[in-house]
Amino acid sequence: MIPTHTASLRDKVGHLRSLFLARLPGMLEEARLACLCLSGGKAAETAIDDLQRLFHNLKGTAATLGLPELSAESSSATELVAGWRLMPVAMRSEVLPSWQRKLANSIARLAVLECQASAALPPPQGAAAPDLPRSARDKKPDLRLKRVYLCDAELDGRQLESPLLCFGYTLTSFCDTASLLRAAAAECPDAIVVQASMATGLAGYENRSDTPLLIVGDDGDFATRLAAVKAGAVAYFQKPIAGHELVEALDMATTQLEPAPYRVLIVDDEPEMADYHASILESVGMSARRLNEPARILEELDEFQPDLLLMDVYMPIASGRELSRVVRQIPQFVGLPILFLSSETDKMEQVSALQVGADGFLTKPIPPQDLITAVAVRAERTRVLRSLMMRDSLTGLLNHTTLSQFLETSLAAAQRQGVPLCFMMLDVDRFKVVNDTYGHQAGDQVLMALARVLKQRLRNSDMIGRYGGEEFAAVLQGVGVSEAVRFVDAIREDFAALTFKAGDKRFSCSFSCGIAGFPDYETAEGLVYAADQALYAAKRGGRNRVIADAAADAIAGEKQ
Amino acid sequence: MRILVVDDDPFAAEMVAAVLEDGGCDAIVVDGAGPAQTVLNADKDFDAIVSDMNMPGQSGMELFRALRAQGSSVPFILLSADDPDVLAQREPRLDACIAKDADLETSLMVTLADVLLPPAD
Repeated sequence: MIPTHTASLRDKVGHLRSLFLARLPGMLEEARLACLCLSGGKAAETAIDDLQRLFHNLKGTAATLGLPELSAESSSATELVAGWRLMPVAMRSEVLPSWQRKLANSIARLAVLECQASAALPPPQGAAAPDLPRSARDKKPDLRLKRVYLCDAELDGRQLESPLLCFGYTLTSFCDTASLLRAAAAECPDAIVVQASMATGLAGYENRSDTPLLIVGDDGDFATRLAAVKAGAVAYFQKPIAGHELVEALDMATTQLEPAPYRVLIVDDEPEMADYHASILESVGMSARRLNEPARILEELDEFQPDLLLMDVYMPIASGRELSRVVRQIPQFVGLPILFLSSETDKMEQVSALQVGADGFLTKPIPPQDLITAVAVRAERTRVLRSLMMRDSLTGLLNHTTLSQFLETSLAAAQRQGVPLCFMMLDVDRFKVVNDTYGHQAGDQVLMALARVLKQRLRNSDMIGRYGGEEFAAVLQGVGVSEAVRFVDAIREDFAALTFKAGDKRFSCSFSCGIAGFPDYETAEGLVYAADQALYAAKRGGRNRVIADAAADAIAGEKQ
Repeated sequence: MRILVVDDDPFAAEMVAAVLEDGGCDAIVVDGAGPAQTVLNADKDFDAIVSDMNMPGQSGMELFRALRAQGSSVPFILLSADDPDVLAQREPRLDACIAKDADLETSLMVTLADVLLPPAD
């Protein structure tokens, strides 16, 4: 007799399947971390044990949950790991690179299968609000391993190999630049890393190729750095190089994100002129917004967030000069380039315009190409400066200042549109103990892993920042507090399940988090304070937990 | 019927428990061979044990052998992501050995019935 299953078993299996898929990214992250420890010693043995158990479990569980492709891929990964164990120890170091490449490929394929399976899940039944979609589901992961060619006589490529591989880079070492160039001619790499003293061997290469060049050297002085710039390097590293720094630089250099179009706000009381200039800029793909009423400039700046402000000098109510003074009064816009447009040919008038903080003076009528160049050059510089100033160097997340600004702007937008918004503050539990016990490198590893988990699991529209030290913060748009708590709590559980390794010691970490939301609080200060209080309550309540601001109040109320 | 489910993977354990409960059994879940021993020491009243093979520390096979060595005769069904026939050959005393695959929903209850019910002639 074949048992017939009730609807409730179907529901349970469906529920388990979605839970399993939600946890899978965390498990794969754990596999990547384990890959970091494979180069030898006792840590390598435990890492291999972990990998075998992880893939073997995935194989069986995925099969029983009706995910055959995931099970098959996990099965290949299991066999890879099993093959490694059977291999004589003497042979291992030789085949390590190719073996690791296969394993990294396998993990990448599992990540893709997870995305596909998650996308195919039916929407949760009876859920009032849909779950936050994960950014991993919006983005198609890049399956291909990126090729990095390394030429450094002093650097042992093998040391860098496994950290790079975990993040999707394969490293090929060359002993001289001539052989590197020959290989590059045959198969173009995604990036080249070269020792400073050998960089001359690549002279002229950057003119013939778009391949980003990274230079490493012993010195950090001006002459060395200038030489690196002249050699066309996109980044310079002073030795010793930390693997994670190189990964960040490679990520930045090789990720071909379609650059967002430059945003130009055009202020001109004559709609025809504004239209004319806007259409020139739009013809080359820039995004131009026209503003005919100077009095609305602050709202427009806030909402449009332009890279450059282009304005007429002579306007009723407020002249261009007066307007630029107003704009410069606001700290956030001190760096915004302002270009004046005028038929003014009087040099003295132009100079006085520059004195009030304009970056340039264009004379009407201006040839379209000149307008385009003048705008593009300045907008580009703003972009570069902004991104350097905005990001934290260890984690690549937004820095404190930028996240605070983002909170202000997104809060204003939420108020206008009448949608909810959350601010969360998050702090790694007992981080000082981690640093003191396992060393600062282990601490950095924890911070980077947390940054990656947050980036992976939150949406593209959520802004995440490193608030300082071991403290992180994020702005979640269009989400209410209870929903945010549910979501961040899942991330908390996954993060707490990660195992870190320092030498042959293993440890795990947790975080505490406090969340407050608009419309409960209407100012940025109010939100930050409430989130901070909730975080404090989470710490006091025993750590490793996510506390909503209202709940924090309730706990405080009970104690009184 | 009370069944002890042993699996270190919480999803697999829940899945097995869901199938058993759907078939009208009570499932008690533990996450390893150690906890299984502890539970069995305190409470011998189980009709069967369904254990995963591959677990950290003691494997499902080692748990089975330890229990038999202690004189326990509770029917034991081993689950494995690998080929179950190989395991069954390695340990003929096992009551059953089945694959962790998409058919588990059906095969588990059928196997349990085979193990617990005397063969009808």
